[in-house]
Amino acid sequence: MNDRTKNKAVTSIFILFFAVSSLLIVLHEQNETSEKERRKLSLLPRPTFENMLSTEYMTDFDKYSLDQFPFRDGFRELKAITQFYVFQQKDNNGIYITKDTVSKIEYPLKGSSVVNAANKLSYIYDSYLADKNTNVFFSIIPDKNYFSAPENGYPAMDYEKLVALMQENIDNMKYINLFDCLSIEDYYVTDTHWRQERLIPVVERIAAEMSFLDRLTEVYTINKFSPFYGVYYGQAALPMAPDTLYYLTASIFDDSRVYNYETGKYTGVYDMNKLDSSDPYEMFLSGAVPLLTIENPKAQTDKELVIFRDSFGSSIAPLFVEAYSKVTLIDIRYITSDYLGSFITFDDQDVLFLYSTLVLNNSALLK
Amino acid sequence: MLFSSIVFLYYFLPCVLLLYFISPKRMKNLVLLSVSLFFYWWGEPKYALLMIFTILLGYGHGILIDKFRGEKTSKVFLISSVSTSIMLLGFFKYADFFTKNTNALFGSSFSLLNFALPIGISFYTFQTLSYTIDVYRGDAKVMKNPITLATYVALFPQLIAGPIVRYTTIEEELNHRTHSLDNFAYGANRFVVGLAKKILIANALGELCEIFRDSGEKSVLFFWVYAIAFSLHIYFDFSGYSDMAIGLGRIFGFHYLENFNYPYVSKSITEFWRRWHISLSTWFRDYIYIPMGGNRVKISRWLFNIIVVWMLTGFWHGAEWNFIVWGLFFALFLILEKLWIGKYLAKAPSVLSRAYVLLLVAVSFVIFNADGMKEAITYISAMFGLQGYPFITDETLYYLRSYAVIIGIAAIGSTPLLKNSVQSLQQHPTARRILNTVEPVVMVSSLLLITAYLVDGSFNPFLYFRF
Repeated sequence: MNDRTKNKAVTSIFILFFAVSSLLIVLHEQNETSEKERRKLSLLPRPTFENMLSTEYMTDFDKYSLDQFPFRDGFRELKAITQFYVFQQKDNNGIYITKDTVSKIEYPLKGSSVVNAANKLSYIYDSYLADKNTNVFFSIIPDKNYFSAPENGYPAMDYEKLVALMQENIDNMKYINLFDCLSIEDYYVTDTHWRQERLIPVVERIAAEMSFLDRLTEVYTINKFSPFYGVYYGQAALPMAPDTLYYLTASIFDDSRVYNYETGKYTGVYDMNKLDSSDPYEMFLSGAVPLLTIENPKAQTDKELVIFRDSFGSSIAPLFVEAYSKVTLIDIRYITSDYLGSFITFDDQDVLFLYSTLVLNNSALLK
Repeated sequence: MLFSSIVFLYYFLPCVLLLYFISPKRMKNLVLLSVSLFFYWWGEPKYALLMIFTILLGYGHGILIDKFRGEKTSKVFLISSVSTSIMLLGFFKYADFFTKNTNALFGSSFSLLNFALPIGISFYTFQTLSYTIDVYRGDAKVMKNPITLATYVALFPQLIAGPIVRYTTIEEELNHRTHSLDNFAYGANRFVVGLAKKILIANALGELCEIFRDSGEKSVLFFWVYAIAFSLHIYFDFSGYSDMAIGLGRIFGFHYLENFNYPYVSKSITEFWRRWHISLSTWFRDYIYIPMGGNRVKISRWLFNIIVVWMLTGFWHGAEWNFIVWGLFFALFLILEKLWIGKYLAKAPSVLSRAYVLLLVAVSFVIFNADGMKEAITYISAMFGLQGYPFITDETLYYLRSYAVIIGIAAIGSTPLLKNSVQSLQQHPTARRILNTVEPVVMVSSLLLITAYLVDGSFNPFLYFRF
């Protein structure tokens, strides 16, 4: 190709590239959500006199232009491939992929956040649980990086320090160590969460420490759902095999009723409709719910359990049901702890604070 | 509006190209001015009027300077032009700096203005100044058409992050420029190269610098990695922007001067500043240093001139002490080179003189990017093992491994190795034909990759927007 032809080619390609892309943008229909990224997408902002005079409209339009770009998922995949295979970067947007699992790097340990979480738990204890004949425990769920980072040499938070900070700043609660009950195989490859069918050792550890091990006799059946695209599947933006979601069933679950304080309705332990949603893990107790109770009418005891929990609690809580007449789950990421007294009478219950390291390291979420 | 944004690339630029090339010749400046004002307004609605006011000041002063040419009044209007421009710059950029230091020094409690810095104010102020000064000196003809002058100052390719285009550089082209296939192809190529430098290299290095700042396990090696990464980051960020500006300018028929010439291969600090941000250093040379007497004065005055010019150069970059110290740091080594070590550097092996430059530049950019002088001193002492950090940590190793390829590409890309190789190959007709065939393919691939990084990316600031 001679210089003149090259210049013609370069000019034509440059003009065509932007012309065609702009045309595609104009023709592209807005999507409200991204299935892969599991989030709402920015929509075309409406211009007003006020937002056009500030930079608000421009900022929103920038977000819209990124979120609604045609073939967005394809471009994200191209970027991830380039990042991993051309530039040999070890992670893409903090997503680290090993042969065993996909993790999001959570680093460094935010000491102030952990102390804030401990203070929040202590505040709840002082407000509702002190002198109420309650047995109070707290436990920490390690995230996948605890197992994966040392093996693969990527940075992870100082877990020993996290546990020490929690223990130093929490009185009147007994700590239950779960770190040695778990391994990387107990978590989904493409998701942040643990696998319910592999939680029996964890349940037994908690039950032993809280003295209800003798009330656990149920035999569970393992059920499968596939494909399960975990939260990191979309974030990694790379082609990879999906997981299979496992859930346990037992007759006790058929007899139990779940009351959702937000909707005021009773449901089952599992919401099978969620299997068709963007996050099938929400099938466990319907996912993110601020306050709910699981009632077990066939319980052999009138003992009650209260669990302060995050999303990891959804899959393990059903496994405690047979040991209690009622299990109450509270997620203070979605309900302010000051309002709890309006809904729950704290008296003569077992109480478990069960939080993942991910939430403790980002405790501004806790209200 | 950032060049490296979807809004610019896929909304603004196609519309501008269409409008510009379909409009008749006599309307082209008006089109450029209108889209440039829109471009500025999009990023800074509040301050668009300030820029228009600055342009009108420059226009009015130019007319008056020319009208009273040969009379003392002409000089009065020059002084008026310089002082009003500097006052506006001082008010919006430096008022809080002086207030803070006055309060600290005298225990007073004057309130801070807390104004957001108008984007690009340092660039368009200096451009306007160059116009009025050149008109006064007779180096440029007065521009009687306000649209043409406003087009020069507000031209969006260089409006907010340079290079500082002198009026005399494009005086002729403002009214009589040609558009050609060769110009368009060169400009498009240069624009994409700049975009790739910014999006693929500079942003990644910027992320590494952010990771370092947030790190919980810093090490001596990590401080060095940071110093090197930031030196490369600022080069690719700013030279990438200059490439884009030069490329866009060329598409519209303007020939801007080069702003960078591979500064990291310099063998002295003197040479470095002939290759780094050339439009700024030559501006200070021609409008401050030489009018002060330059080097044709006695040695004490000469040293004074150097110190003043470099203090101002540092201060131009930001209203903080670390920028002033950064400028004075270079003044010190420029003086040392002129008086003592220059002759030794000239005779030293290239590897040594280049290592000397790279070391000083890396240290200087740690000062430049520090959040105050306290942090600068801490970082520099940590680089030399004086802060008790371990030599290396697992975290350092991880990020070093993760960014090794990017750093390697950036290091090679900051030298003329690739350019020289391509030029050498172009001497052979067959190789030239192959390169010509590859070039459009590389352009499309680059544009796709750039788009992919933009669509997925979150780290995308331009460093020189804050100046």
